Amino acid sequence: MRTSATGALPDEPPGSLLRRIAWHWRYDPKRELWIAWWTMLVFYQLFGLLFFVVTRTQPPPQPWWEPTRVAQWFDEHLYGLLIGFAFVFIISGMTALMNALIAYSMRRMSVSRAFAYSYLVIYALSTLPGMLLLGIALTVGAMRPDRDPELIRWIYDFAFMTFDGTMGVFLVGSLVWMVAILLDENRVFPKWFAYLSLCNALTEVVVAPAWIFKSGVFAWNGAISYWLNVGVFVTYTTAFLTLLRRMILREDFGTGPLPELSTDEAPEPSGSVRAAR
Amino acid sequence: MTNVANAQPRSRFVPGQPDMWAFVLFEALVFTAYFIVYIIRRTQSPDLFLESQAHLDLRVGVFNTLVLLASSWSVARCVQAARERSLGAALTNAFLTMLFGFVFLVSKVLEWVTKIEEGFGFTTNEFFSFYYFLTAIHFLHLLIGFVVLAIGAYQLASPARRSQEIIETCATYWHTIDFLWVLIFALLYVMR
Repeated sequence: MRTSATGALPDEPPGSLLRRIAWHWRYDPKRELWIAWWTMLVFYQLFGLLFFVVTRTQPPPQPWWEPTRVAQWFDEHLYGLLIGFAFVFIISGMTALMNALIAYSMRRMSVSRAFAYSYLVIYALSTLPGMLLLGIALTVGAMRPDRDPELIRWIYDFAFMTFDGTMGVFLVGSLVWMVAILLDENRVFPKWFAYLSLCNALTEVVVAPAWIFKSGVFAWNGAISYWLNVGVFVTYTTAFLTLLRRMILREDFGTGPLPELSTDEAPEPSGSVRAAR
Repeated sequence: MTNVANAQPRSRFVPGQPDMWAFVLFEALVFTAYFIVYIIRRTQSPDLFLESQAHLDLRVGVFNTLVLLASSWSVARCVQAARERSLGAALTNAFLTMLFGFVFLVSKVLEWVTKIEEGFGFTTNEFFSFYYFLTAIHFLHLLIGFVVLAIGAYQLASPARRSQEIIETCATYWHTIDFLWVLIFALLYVMR
């Protein structure tokens, strides 16, 4: 973790990790940005762990199962679903900090604030189909095993279709970020990331056939509608985590172009630097 | 960004923004994945795919391909004219490219309508699922291509904002669409 060359800060003390963390907590003007970035990093680790390992809802089970098999699936995964989604509901609040950091990146650009505000609204909404509806629906199914198996299967369809078939909000969010980067003159993000956002948006269209097909490559667990989309999303997420970290390292709290990093990853002094606090 | 009026001999490695070539790479990888899945599924049901493929009109596919190749030719002429500061000719070629693109879109919609009227829909069988999926995702790329061409034409229309780099970037996107169509054409219409 490095700080901006503001010129007004005491030097970072040598010594233990705890001591350095304490120094950053007290003096680092980028403290909130780093907290948001680490929150994002931890969130995605937990998200993967909870969905793929604890609840076993990813990769999704078969879309064509009969009601008795669906009820059996709920029974087999009962504790994983209840414990896993309890944690999912707790960590869902972390998305606020993540969205705020991405909106901050757009506020740092030379574009209208409307981009950041649009992104915030879109991604606040996307938490529902992207995470919470699946969790709520499957928790209901797990908590009411005595209900009619047809109803349980309806809940199962509802959960996975909302999770795997609704990418429209993410698509628009990616496009908002893309246009902001292409118009930006402050070089906050490289242009290739804007084009990667377009690529990500276009692969999110590909999940739409999951609403129609119950088996094959276009089903909600199919090679194209699911696995390809996951591959692009992981690439995209890795790219923006890396670029957001780089943006924080380069941040000088000015209003002009972000300075480039020198070899030791601290930003070059910029004429537009001002005291952050 | 290089102004057309001040064009200097350049030593750039690729035409346009290098970042757009990253997009070309990403899209090539994604479409390669689609094609691999298609070929795997085809090898698992060769009779179904061959029988269904016979219902596509090869002449329509050839016409689509020729129209898009013509659009690539006109967009290349647009870039060349912009480099030579013949901005009127460049603008004319940009609009010609849009016209070819529009002809492609209309012919593709007509082909879809014909196939649906013949009873071959998105869910008829796996071949037609791939047919509609691949042509539709390409269609979407082409629609974005119109926005990209409009940006190029906007650059050409005024001396104050001309940027050779942006014009070449737009042309690179359009060539990518053409390149992807040639592969889709070969897989859906030609490969037996």
